[in-house]
Amino acid sequence: MQSFETTGTQSTPTIRANWEEGTLFMEGDSYPENSYEQFRPVFDWIEAFLNTAGRPLLLDLHLLYLNTSSIKAMMDIFDRLESAHAAGQAVSVRWSYDRRNERVGELAEEFREDCSFPFAIEPSA
Amino acid sequence: MNPSVVNPPVMNPIDLFSLRERFNQTNIMLCFNGPMSRSLIEEIGNALKNYLTADQAHPAAATDVFGTYIELTQNIRHYTHAKAWSEQDAGATVVISREADGRYVVCAGNLIEQQDGEAVCALVDQLAGLDKAALKALYKEQLRKPRPDASSGAGLGLIHVARTATAPLQATLHPLPDGRAFFSLRAVI
Repeated sequence: MQSFETTGTQSTPTIRANWEEGTLFMEGDSYPENSYEQFRPVFDWIEAFLNTAGRPLLLDLHLLYLNTSSIKAMMDIFDRLESAHAAGQAVSVRWSYDRRNERVGELAEEFREDCSFPFAIEPSA
Repeated sequence: MNPSVVNPPVMNPIDLFSLRERFNQTNIMLCFNGPMSRSLIEEIGNALKNYLTADQAHPAAATDVFGTYIELTQNIRHYTHAKAWSEQDAGATVVISREADGRYVVCAGNLIEQQDGEAVCALVDQLAGLDKAALKALYKEQLRKPRPDASSGAGLGLIHVARTATAPLQATLHPLPDGRAFFSLRAVI
């Protein structure tokens, strides 16, 4: 498995998966009709990283608006991180957002409620 | 006096002026009626974002209005796609307006099978009886259910819209002669 990069569109986020660094960066809005197609490569990459890399994984998120289909896909990703954490692997999430839009912070907070691994929500100035 | 001003042309029964007056009086920011493609949802959504910015909506309010618009229109797309209806029957009617008190209203409607319409109206009534905590619990429960098949899917989106709205959702169903109905949903944000 290797690094990959997907340039975002109006309705899909920019995604950068860096195998060497162990980081997955996602930025922008996500509201495609079928989020499953969009998130499949992300999910596969995370799965491969957790199964073979043997190093910590960080999700560096700058996501803004997510439709419910994307929320469901993100929940699947966080559930996978949760099971890795339960198995003793080092996983963490950092979700940065503009503090002027508290909806993003609330969205991140609802995900964090179901996670026990390190999950930072960082409003910017 | 020009008689055409007094008597609208017979061949053009659409009175744009009165339509415009109606839009202005009811503070309609944006409306759409017709077949709605995936790219059209995005383009109209983009226009909506720009209008909300120009209207100096708070970023959270803009997210709420935009999110409600996306969930309702994508619900319609999923439903009509599952029914494999013609482009014309698969259309949507969308109106976004602003109340005198400053709140935004998102209305969306589409053709629906009478039976499906009754089911979704029952769901809307059920959601109307729930407070924010109960809606959140139902939302999280629905989120953890396996992905529904193509014939449904309105569940999670509707609950999300009900959570976003500042008043209970209102649904109406107008039966049509062909056995179908026109379903419309009104969300005050």
